[in-house]
This record gives sequence, structure tokens and C-alpha cells, in this order.
Amino acid sequence: MSHLVLDGLTKRFGGFTAVDAMNLSVERGEFISLLGPSGCGKTTTLQMIAGFVEVDDGGIRLDGADLVSVAPNKRGLGIVFQSYALFPHMTVAENIAFGLEMRDVPRADRDQRTREAMELVGLKGFADRYPRRMSGGQQQRVALARALVIKPALLLLDEPLSNLDAKLREEMQGELRQIQRSIGTTTILVTHDQHEAMALSDRIVLMNHGRIEQIGAPHEVYDRPASAFVASFLGKTNVLAATGDGQGAVTIGGLALALPGAGKGPLQLAVRPERLTFAQAGEPGLEARITGRIFQGAHWQFSADSAAGVLCLMRGNNGEAVPAEGETVRLRFSAADAAILPAGAAA
Amino acid sequence: MRRNGIPALIFHGLFVVFMLAPLLIVCVVAFTPEGYLSLPTRGPSLRWFRAIFDYPEFIRAFRDSLWLAALSSTIAIGLAVPAALAIARYRFPGREAITALFMSPLMVPHVVLGIAFLRFFTQIGISGTFVGLVLSHIIVVIPFALRLVLAASYGIDRRIEHAAISLGAGTATVFRRVTLPLILPGVVSGWLLAAINSFDEVTMTVFIASPATVTLPVRMFLYIQDNIDPLIAAVSACLIAMTAILLFALDRLFGLDRLFVGSGKG
Repeated sequence: MSHLVLDGLTKRFGGFTAVDAMNLSVERGEFISLLGPSGCGKTTTLQMIAGFVEVDDGGIRLDGADLVSVAPNKRGLGIVFQSYALFPHMTVAENIAFGLEMRDVPRADRDQRTREAMELVGLKGFADRYPRRMSGGQQQRVALARALVIKPALLLLDEPLSNLDAKLREEMQGELRQIQRSIGTTTILVTHDQHEAMALSDRIVLMNHGRIEQIGAPHEVYDRPASAFVASFLGKTNVLAATGDGQGAVTIGGLALALPGAGKGPLQLAVRPERLTFAQAGEPGLEARITGRIFQGAHWQFSADSAAGVLCLMRGNNGEAVPAEGETVRLRFSAADAAILPAGAAA
Repeated sequence: MRRNGIPALIFHGLFVVFMLAPLLIVCVVAFTPEGYLSLPTRGPSLRWFRAIFDYPEFIRAFRDSLWLAALSSTIAIGLAVPAALAIARYRFPGREAITALFMSPLMVPHVVLGIAFLRFFTQIGISGTFVGLVLSHIIVVIPFALRLVLAASYGIDRRIEHAAISLGAGTATVFRRVTLPLILPGVVSGWLLAAINSFDEVTMTVFIASPATVTLPVRMFLYIQDNIDPLIAAVSACLIAMTAILLFALDRLFGLDRLFVGSGKG
């Protein structure tokens, strides 16, 4: 049985449906990201799990037991907010011990567990500091320790790293992942940052307009986008105009590919920039003219004009000669790297 | 920082003198040995301070005024805190009306309030009682209490309370351990402004005070209608000294700028 189950979960604000009949099963110990643009319903979903937003329809079950009818302060979930939401009038130790105090944990035990939680997040020696005397990263660690010290059934993270600068965010991502692995708490992260979602999660839940677009492991979702929205939201992608002959072959400009499952007539293919390569002499390819070339250290980024549309290419900087701007090249990709997008969907 | 020019310095100087001179003169006059309002040119004397004790009605009025101020401002804060939290957080029908109602005593002239209360209290049979005085003062000081608590309530991040709830705190615990400490600067400054305004109120109180319930300002007002002597300056000097000590103590305890300017940013 799944640890956490969302069953047709729905929330409406007036005439606007923020979360629309959402179904999701989360296994024990999993790290799940709810990813999507702002207004896609991911935060509302988290708030319903936490109990701060009422559920209009559907259910939430934790270990088989209904969670919706449980008061928010009895759910025993750990929550970390983007704004940290630390108690400004309490010291670090008092902040962390708050949840234990609410559970009437005896003093000695409380002190011991608070100390352990502070060590876990690397805040040894900060016990008597007040939050306002700490950096954003340190405050975030306090918030994490405060949520984890109560040994929550679920850890809910609401854009926890968005207020940190890029370098610190990357550091905290690694640490968050490592801490989550070591204690094994089932975790749900809400984020609009695709890199964060891909770096941290076991599975990503991509949401748009209150609905789930796709659920899968980061590389699955990235390589096999189920919709044009997913393809365009996760990383850069090229959408190529192609024509199918109805018998498993498609032509893209001058390039013919065997693509089982492709229908007849015009269709759209999604190909990642890093999966497009330059055709060797003699190989068939899609003719294109290089219109831009940007050097980014580890790789080159090209833009090219072709019969199938404007394309973006990413090539590793591996010492090979690269074409110059204005040069005409031929591009190819393998059938395995192309995802057929549903008809009518525009990126 | 840009420095002030000579004209600006003169202007600021005059302004400060204009603000402080009356207070200073009253304090100096209180030390006169003469029987009329004058500067103590023959050396200071404590004669008029001793005279205060010959008028027990001043002492009693002072004690009544303190009680009145403490009671009315405490009850006013008790009403203002839930009202402010509701107004700051929720959009409900009648929200604007309630805010306007709580603020209205600031708009209505106190003379009008005085006459209205006099008539009303007579009607319901509590005219001339201490209860009536407290009730009327609660109404007059509630705008001050509400305004400052409201300012503090708007600044609270609700997620701090959500964090407390998620950690297992019930409604009462969240209020006691989290919300109240967060709005405390607003509550303290609101209480203080309310108490000062109650202590100071004379226009309305003149109408509803009876010989049994005379506040200090009303007593002073009645006194100078009959006598003009330095006794009143001595009483004023005592009040100024007490206010100064109170403000100093508050500044040490909380920081006045934190109480009245920024709500709890320190």
C-alpha cells in the first residue's frame, strides 16, 4: 500500500479550479517534486496536505487513514516554508524544540533531540542565536531542523531554497538530498525550479492549470515528455515539423527516419538540443544554416535555420572543429531521441 | 548625511524651543516661594509641592485617574487585539464598518461625546459613577489601541503561525506563544497611548464626572477657576516628572522607536 495517496483531490476558489481531480501515490521514503509554473496548483496541493487549505473534493490518505478530517495541528507533518517562518522571538534551540514541547517530550529528551537535529543540519554551536542574527542559509537549516525533529510522517517543502543565492542553493540541494536519504522521511517538494526538481527528486510531478501533465523519474520526464508543455517547461527543446507516411516513416526536411507509431500527415517531434548532431560527410541530414554560435565553456550552443524550423543545438566542447556562423551544415538525430508530440499541441 | 544650513538650524531651534519652553517654564514656576505665578527670583522653594498634600482631593483625583487610565486602556486593548487580528487578516462583510466604528471617537468632538454620555448614563442610571467613567473612557481611547495593534498585526507573516500549527500547537497556544509575542510592541504602545489619552482627557470627562469621581485634569480645571496660584504649576511639574521617568523606563525596556515608529523590526 502506498504511503500517501491523493485521490481526486480538488480545490476551487470561486469559479477557478486551482487543483483539478489530482491523483497521486507516494511510496514511503520517496522524494517527490511538484513542479510547474506559478498558479499551476502545486502550492495549493501542498497546503491541502498540510491542512491550511480546505479540500473541496476528493481525499488524502496517509498509511490508509483519512487525513482530511484530521486537524492541521494533529497531522504531525514537518513543513519548511520559503520565508523560513522561524519564530523571531525564540532562539535557535527554542525554535527547534517547539514541536517537542507541544508533544510534552520530557526536558532531558527534548534537549538531546534538539542537539541531534542541530548537528544533522550542521548548526552545532548556534543554540542561543536569534534567527535575525543568522544568514538566509542558516535560517533555512533551522527551519529544516525544526521540521525534522518531530520525526514527521511527511516532510513538506514549499519552495525552500528560492530565497537563497545560486551558489548556496546548489550547496543546500546536495545537503537536503543527503539528509533526506539518511533519515528516509517521505518528502514532497514544491518548486518552480526545474533544476532543483531534477537534482533532488526520485519522481517529478509536472503540473499545469491544476492538472498533472506527467509523473516520472527526472530523466524519464526529461527524455520522454508526454506533452508539448512538459517538453518546453523542462529544459530547452526543439519542436520540428515533420510529415508521416502512416507506415512508420517520417521525413523532416531532407531527413528520413523510421519512427514506429508515427501517424500519417503533418506531426511534431520534440528533440533536445544536446541530441542533435552534425551529420558526417555522406550521411543523410536536415540541411540548416548556422545563425548564431555562443561559447559557454563546457559546451557550444548553436542556433540554426532549417526547413523544419529554428533549431537550437548543444555540443560538448571536446576539441572538435565547430562550424562558424553563416555556414551551412546537415543535422541529424536518432529516432530514439525524438518524442512525438500529441497532434494539435503547440509548444 | 547632508548638513542643515543656518536658516534651517535656526528654524529647528525655534521649533524645539516652542515645544519645550511651556513645559520648562511651568517646572520653574513650581519652585517659586511667592503666592502668585512667578519665576523663583528669590531662590527655589518647595512650598507649593508641600501645599499639594494640604489638598487631599488632588491626591485622590490622581489615584482615581491612574485607576481609570489603567482600567480603560486595559479593557480597550482587550477589545482591540481580536478586532485588529480579524481586520488585518480576513475580508468579511462589515469589515470597513467595524473599522470606521472603532475609529469614530477620534472624529466626534469630545464635547459632543460628553453631552451624549451625560444624557445616556442618566437614562440607564449610571450617571456620576466610576463605571460610567470607565465605559466612556474605553470608547474614547479605543482608536489609539486599535490603530497601533492593527499596524503590528499587518506585519505578521501568517506562515509563522502555520509553522507553529504544523508543529502541534492548538489555537490558544499559537496565540499565546507566537501571535501575541509578535504583536507585543503594538500592544504595549497601544496600551500606553490609550492610558495617556485617558489620563489626559478633560473635555468629555468634565460633563460626566461627579464630585465622587473627579479625575486629576478635571480637578485641576475646577481649581484654576477659583484660584490662580503656583499650586497648579507644582502639580503639573509632578506630572511632567512622572511622564519623563515612565518614558525613560520604557525606552530602556523596549526602545521607544521600536514601540512607536517601526513595529518590531529590531
